[in-house]
Order: sequence, then C-alpha cells, then structure tokens
Amino acid sequence: MDPGKNQSLFKDKPIKILLAKPGIDGHDRGILVLAKAFRDAGMEVIYVGLLPTPEEVVDTAINEDVDVVALSLLNGAHMTVFKKVADLMREKGVRDIAIVGGGTIPDADKPKLEKLGITGNYGPGTPIAEIINHITERAAEIRKLKATGE
Amino acid sequence: MKVLKIEEIVQGILDGNRRAVSRGISVVENDYDTAAARRIIREIFPHTGHAQIVGITGPPGIGKSTMIGNLSATLSKKGFRISVVAIDASSPFSGGSLLGNRIRMQESLSKYGVYMRSLANRGLNGGLSRSVWDTVKILDASGSDYIIVETVGAGQADLDIVNLADTVIVVLGPGLGDEIQAIKAGIMEIGHVFVINKMDRQGAFIAMKDIEETLAMSPKGEWKPPVIGVNSLNGEGYEAFIEKIQEHRSFVKSHSDLTMRKFRTELQRTILEELRRRFESDISHFLSDNEEIKQLVRDKIDPYSAAEKLVKKIA
Repeated sequence: MDPGKNQSLFKDKPIKILLAKPGIDGHDRGILVLAKAFRDAGMEVIYVGLLPTPEEVVDTAINEDVDVVALSLLNGAHMTVFKKVADLMREKGVRDIAIVGGGTIPDADKPKLEKLGITGNYGPGTPIAEIINHITERAAEIRKLKATGE
Repeated sequence: MKVLKIEEIVQGILDGNRRAVSRGISVVENDYDTAAARRIIREIFPHTGHAQIVGITGPPGIGKSTMIGNLSATLSKKGFRISVVAIDASSPFSGGSLLGNRIRMQESLSKYGVYMRSLANRGLNGGLSRSVWDTVKILDASGSDYIIVETVGAGQADLDIVNLADTVIVVLGPGLGDEIQAIKAGIMEIGHVFVINKMDRQGAFIAMKDIEETLAMSPKGEWKPPVIGVNSLNGEGYEAFIEKIQEHRSFVKSHSDLTMRKFRTELQRTILEELRRRFESDISHFLSDNEEIKQLVRDKIDPYSAAEKLVKKIA
C-alpha cells in the first residue's frame, strides 16, 4: 500500500470490467474468485449475478461503459451464448468494449471464439496472473481505441 | 458506429442516448480535469435543472439498493424517467472495487429500462465520489425526472450527500440502537425523509418511535421530516414514501434560496479544487527532498509557521 493513498484521491484510471455468466449455469465459484482477484489487481469490478440474459449483459456493459466484458460458462453453451453477446455488441455498433471468455471450453472451440473477437478462453487451472495480464492488455487496446479512434 | 467524439457525446446526452450518456460519465470520471470533460459540462449545463436528485443514505446492509430497485420500479410505472447512480467503496490498498449494488436492482432495471451507473469512490471520503456531481448533471441533461443517488454504506459522518441531493432519504431499520444513538449529531440531521426499512422485523415500531421522538426535539424548520415505515419485500409503504418525496420536491421548488445555497456550496468546492489543482506542483515542490525543507527540520520550525512561510512564496 502506498502511504496516504486512501487520504488523497486516486489519480489512476482503473480498468472497469463486467463479469457475467449469461445462460443457465450456476457454477459461480470460479467467477467469484476472479472478481476478488481483479479487485485486488486494482480493477473496478461489476458482477451481474447469476442467469443474466445476453441482452442484459450487453445493456449493462453499455450503461456502465466498461472496458472489458468477461464471460464465463461451464455448461457447454459458450458457442451459442458467447456468440450471442458478441453479435448483440456488433448490432449495437459497439466496438470499443473487449470481450474475453473462460470456463470449460474445448480447445477446438477456441479459434472459433477468437474469430468472434472473444479472446482468452481460459480453462480451469489457469494461473490468475495470466488472466489478469490478458485483461490488462485488452483493456489497454480498448483505452487506446477510445482515445484515438484507432 | 465509430468511436464517439466530444460533440457527439454532448448531442447524444441531450438526446438521451444511453451510449453517449455512459461515455460522457466515463470522461468526467476518468479525465475530470481535461478540456474534454469541462466542455461536456459547459455545454450540457444550460439543459440541467429539471431532475429531482434523491439521495439515499444509511448504514451498510439496511437495504438501500433493494429500496432503489422498488422505488425506481414504482416511479417508472407512474411514467417518470429514472436514473440511478450507486457508489461503492474503493479499496485503499489496491484501488480496485467491487461494484455490487446493481445485483439487487437488476430486475427493475431490465424490466423498466432504468439507467443505472455504478461508481467507485476512488478514495473520496464522505460517501460519494468526486465525479458524482458531474454525473448527475449529465443524467439531468439527458432528460431524467428523478436521479436516485445511493451513497457508500454510510457511517454517522458521511454527509456529503446533503450538498448534492435535493431530497435526502435516510434509511434506518430496527435494531440499530436506542434513542441515544438517534440524538447524535450527523446522519440524523441531514434527512428530509426518514425511512424505516424491514417493517416486518421485530423492533421496527420502536425504531420508528425513537426516530420520531428525536425529530420532535430538533429545531423546527419549515420542512418537518416525516418518518415512513416500509417493507421492501412486499412493497408496503412505498406509496406514502413516494408521496413524501414528491411533496419535498414542491417544497424545494418553492424555496429558491435552497437552490442558491446548493449552488454556492458546489462553487466553493470547485474553487477549492481549482486552487488545489493550480498549486499542486508548488505543493509537491515544497514537499520534495530539497535544502529548504531540511533547513526547516534543522531549525525546528513548527508546521504552521513553515506552511505560512512557504505559501507566501506562491502569493
């Protein structure tokens, strides 16, 4: 902790991230662990709870103007639901919010998700630092895009 | 859609476009002292003044977020446009934050299309965040009728909300303490409407009585803060609650000195911040590891005299 940090106002611009499990999936231990890890990494974390629809996830992402949406599913529906979130983003003309994924995702699906713009796609056992690095990189790209339009 | 430019953000805010509103808030939150943020506020400011800003404060866990969910649903059904701003604490260690207020109101948000934004306090004490003053201006200019602001779960001394909101709702509940608790200074003095939540719980009526007695002893202003009991699980008491909010709105509208006082307080805050910003580099220069500061230590100069001496140099 930097001395006095809580006494003065923070100068940095924390990464804002939305965590969501869109779809019928109640396995939230992983995403809760990540939520706390992201908070401890200095991010502003919003978790929308269980069972949001893809529409709710996209609306929330826009209203909160997050840098990154992190989707997690462990029920095998990622090719349907992650895709739906990416499609809705595109329909609404949003290209300055990054989407990352995680959960039980077979290796064969990963390139397909990447093609939709959903990166990361980490499975169980991934070191948290690796996930944080990836999100920091994606967020930096997005911040640059917002600032310059490129 | 391409990336939003400042003029698009301004126009979008005035048109009530969600994406523009969201991005505008991000600009005033992240780049508050840039020309872009100032320009947004400058250009939308003439369009503000319509919304009633309702502040909700009270101890953590008393049901503020759930109450906002019910309140925004009931007001939306009456045809009003509602926006919600909820503030949570940032970690003093990492600077990160878990913005968890949304989860309690998601249902009403989706169902009634209520705009909701979570802000982290980013180290500001007092129950609010620095950017919240500009955030409510943006939401006001975007056409909201009511802007509901939820403070960080507040202690007795987190009272900034009184300078921001037109109407301050203090939420309390059964089991929070006796009448001694209720006559302490601070949170009991800032409420325009007192709400006892969880009326289904034991002790709720005693809590109501304690608050009413305390208020009866307070100096009599023109506005007498009412005490309302509600049950957020079944919506009991919300109609009376909303009536009081609207009553207070007409009271504020008919007292222009209140608006004036609010403006003065905000101007004072902004002037102080502007001064701080302007002299920030001077101040950090004084504090840096230079010969002068070492001399002050060697001469055993007390902090007041030292500060006076240094500040003279700027002026």
